[in-house]
Amino acid sequence: MKKKVLAAVLCAAMAGSMLAGCGGKSDGDKKETGRREMEVEGDNVTTLNVWTFIENHQDFYTEMAEKWNEENPDKKVKLVLSNMAYDDMHNKLSLALESGEGAPDVVDIELGKFPAFTTGQIGLMDLTDAIEPYKDKVVESRLDLYAKDGKYYGFPTHVGTTVAFYNTEELEAAGIDYTAIKTWEDFKNAGIKYKEATGKTFAAAETTAQWTLNLMLAQKGGSYLKEDGSLDVNNDTMAECLQYLKDMQTAGALDTIAGGQPDNEEAYPLYNSGDVAAAIMPFWQTSRYTSYMTDLKGKVAIAVPPVWGDNDAVKTIGGGGTGTAVVASGEHADLAAEVFAYIKLSDEASHEIYNVLGFDPVNTEVWTDTALTENPDNQFVQYFNTKPFNALLEVQDSIGLLDCYTDEKMPSINNVFTTQTLNDIFESDVDVKEALDSAQDTLENEFAE
Amino acid sequence: MAAEAIGKSQKRKNKMATIGMVIFFSILAILIIIPVYAIVLASFKPGNHLLQYGLNLNLDVANMTLDNYVLLFTGSHDYWIWFGNSLLLTVITVVLTLLVSSFVAYGFAAYDFKGKNFFFVIVLIILSIPFEVIMLPLYKQISSWGMMDNYAAVVVPFLAHASTIFFFRQYLLGLPKSLIEAGRIDGCTEYGIFFRLIVPIMKPAFSAMAILNGMNAWNNYLWPLLVIRSSEKYTLTIGLNTLINPYGDNYSLLVVGSVFSIIPIFILFICFQRYFIEGMTAGAVKE
Amino acid sequence: MNKVKKFLYSQKAAPYVFILPFVLTILLFWLFPIGNGVLLSFQDVLKDKWVGFDNYSRLLTDKMFFKAVYNSLKYMIGTLILLIPFPLLFASMLNSKLMKGQGFFKSVYFLPALTSVVVAGTIFRLMFGEMDTSLANQIMELLGKSPIKWLKGEWTGYFALLIVACWRWTGVNILYFLAGLQSIPTDIYEAASIDGASKWQQFIKISFPLVKPTTVYVLTISIYAGLSMFLESFMLWKGNNSPQNIGLTIVGYLYRQGIEKRAMGYACAVGLVLLLVVMVINMIQLIATGTFKKEER
Repeated sequence: MKKKVLAAVLCAAMAGSMLAGCGGKSDGDKKETGRREMEVEGDNVTTLNVWTFIENHQDFYTEMAEKWNEENPDKKVKLVLSNMAYDDMHNKLSLALESGEGAPDVVDIELGKFPAFTTGQIGLMDLTDAIEPYKDKVVESRLDLYAKDGKYYGFPTHVGTTVAFYNTEELEAAGIDYTAIKTWEDFKNAGIKYKEATGKTFAAAETTAQWTLNLMLAQKGGSYLKEDGSLDVNNDTMAECLQYLKDMQTAGALDTIAGGQPDNEEAYPLYNSGDVAAAIMPFWQTSRYTSYMTDLKGKVAIAVPPVWGDNDAVKTIGGGGTGTAVVASGEHADLAAEVFAYIKLSDEASHEIYNVLGFDPVNTEVWTDTALTENPDNQFVQYFNTKPFNALLEVQDSIGLLDCYTDEKMPSINNVFTTQTLNDIFESDVDVKEALDSAQDTLENEFAE
Repeated sequence: MAAEAIGKSQKRKNKMATIGMVIFFSILAILIIIPVYAIVLASFKPGNHLLQYGLNLNLDVANMTLDNYVLLFTGSHDYWIWFGNSLLLTVITVVLTLLVSSFVAYGFAAYDFKGKNFFFVIVLIILSIPFEVIMLPLYKQISSWGMMDNYAAVVVPFLAHASTIFFFRQYLLGLPKSLIEAGRIDGCTEYGIFFRLIVPIMKPAFSAMAILNGMNAWNNYLWPLLVIRSSEKYTLTIGLNTLINPYGDNYSLLVVGSVFSIIPIFILFICFQRYFIEGMTAGAVKE
Repeated sequence: MNKVKKFLYSQKAAPYVFILPFVLTILLFWLFPIGNGVLLSFQDVLKDKWVGFDNYSRLLTDKMFFKAVYNSLKYMIGTLILLIPFPLLFASMLNSKLMKGQGFFKSVYFLPALTSVVVAGTIFRLMFGEMDTSLANQIMELLGKSPIKWLKGEWTGYFALLIVACWRWTGVNILYFLAGLQSIPTDIYEAASIDGASKWQQFIKISFPLVKPTTVYVLTISIYAGLSMFLESFMLWKGNNSPQNIGLTIVGYLYRQGIEKRAMGYACAVGLVLLLVVMVINMIQLIATGTFKKEER
């Protein structure tokens, strides 16, 4: 009896909420998730298993593989793509490589995790030969990111030039002209002015990433490591940059945000609704804007990021990245390397990388190809109210790199920064020097230095 | 007279106490239902609202939609593959665990043999070792045996399930030994006795443990996550967790999928409530 | 051949055949891994060499490990305080003859235990979101307080974790205690009632001592579950990396070192320390509650 009563109550509750739902309108777009398989006709088709952690990449790889098949009917491939969560995918890969079992043929490895796969026994294939045909057209520093001892282990996807994204509508309403922001000082003042005018957040004090910090650091010629590769996260340059960011936060130009950085599912809605106005992000943030911040169409400008002054070591840096690697023990490793060199580095690839993904291709010849970069049908050209590549071309000759990102210590350093140090500084008001000393201490313990 | 008055005031007091307690426990019940209600409610809202506004109880009727359910039933995604995998794995786990564990428990309950106490103490010790302690070495071992990405690796290590054995043993100790003797006189073998005589009368114990093990298998996450690699073998919990990904907008499916993942257990619970509670509390009342 | 068969079917050999599957799984999947774990804890698995007690001495100076131990202990103590006395009290109230609808409430309280941690953690993560419109912050608003970044502060994060634990386990523990209480003969209460003992006195003098075996059981599994908690935190913080590691537990650290950083040897050392801590605390608890004495009788 009681059981029946309970069941009835619950059914009624469910039915009630269902009825309540009927009047709604529909606006959700359907997305595919997880596993995808290409359909390829013909015999003699080689199946390649590909792991990714970004769904967009699946579209891109499928599209390029179809092109490859058209051009190479004798070497057709069929991609079976699995998309997994970021941490899961990298964990699974390291476990699979270690046990020599269950690894895919091709895998996207995120820059921050890459060094972990090029230490000890390397399970990835040396791609130097596969890269050779494309090498002279590609930004070399991006290849170096995925290199170890002179061998290349990953195909880069993009340069990831760090640029500034501004919500022009919100800034104009607050009386701020983003084109006048040239230096960090300008950026700070704009932020203070914006906060006073609107009470809203100008830009993010990042706690789960270091896009802004890394840019500042590289501009000052700093690093996370000493020349000899030993840990040096509490150096003076680092402290200066973080102190500057902290001062910006104290003055109101920055605030911590949900998700901790602009490239986060919790942060997209904040930008989309205009609660946060500016982002210092690598160029690939464009695709996040078009996918997740659709309300901002026609309201976002891409600009050259702020600098310290005229004497900076570099104007900007390449940030983030995904190196596509081939697993050495794979049955079809050689073919996989050839196909993915084409998929990621060929001229066609460079066009598609921009068209499909909205990234700045590593093949910089493409950057000046206005037929592509200013194509009025392109979704990115339509979305942003500046020409997307203008900012890139302005800084093209001064795109640096934080060399330490290829060091095997970097994944751990990033981990300590994004869990502990940045939160200490921006959420808990711990003294910058103190937080950095503590990070150095933790890391020294880990690496037994 | 006086006694009657006392009785009356006592009655009133008792009534007040009843009402007070019912109110108190109703409030507690509401508190416990709120999160479930919130997620059911959220399954009728667009997924990105969840990221923007968090989970709350706002009955935002204007924005309510059945889209998530349409997506669940007609969209192209792997949800039903995960669902099927989980169902399959749960059934396999339950059937095998019950069979093996009852087999072992009968050995402990029906016989006196050398080393019996020693082995039984091991059962008790294993009950108190956190699985996480052996997780990594076991993982390494499974991988060196080539059992990775195999459902056997998810199920086999836990077939002789210590707490299930313990429960079955307690249950079997309550059975009359004369039953076994009768079986022997009838000419059954030792194993024949177990399969023909004992298994049929263990039904209530099986139900309780089936539900407990089934629930655990359905909700199991960490070990399958380590062992299973290919996405076509993902279980529901692993699959749902892949939707929590900064590089995708999957909250629509996540929310509605979560709601649906509770439903099979919920139906079982409504039907077999008694066994749920029995299985759950089995260890708590030891003689 | 026939002899073997005959032996296997004999009454003497049968019990060993019955417990064989158990002995095999224990050997293969418990003892072997534990032994392996001990060996691994003296190795640097990535470099494939023996390092003696290096992993253990590193543990002693590893602040992050101590943070994990501290968090796990803190969580365990919190759950012990919230999840034993209150469910016991609630159970004895539910057990009262004056209470109506006992079955209904039992079912409802059991509901959270049906959900997986993956789902529960996600629900609570979104309820404790830092936006003004999340449920937790709506309640703060009702109380006239400003919104809180729940999952970014040490104590608010701890609070959220405890709320998840209470939500999931209050009902189950009530059921445990109810089962224990129902095994107490009712005439004891009647006798006490006639002697003029109040309900509260009956609870303290009768219920509490007589459900002690249940209490010891719940205490034991709570210690065990509290110290080895991982998934709740893993789901609440969407992964193993919480701000300032406020959600890092011992098992979380084991996972981080062993799976995320592939320092399998170091992770095994962490695991063995966990085992030691669980064993010691449980031992102290069993001695303190006098469980051993009773069994010696």
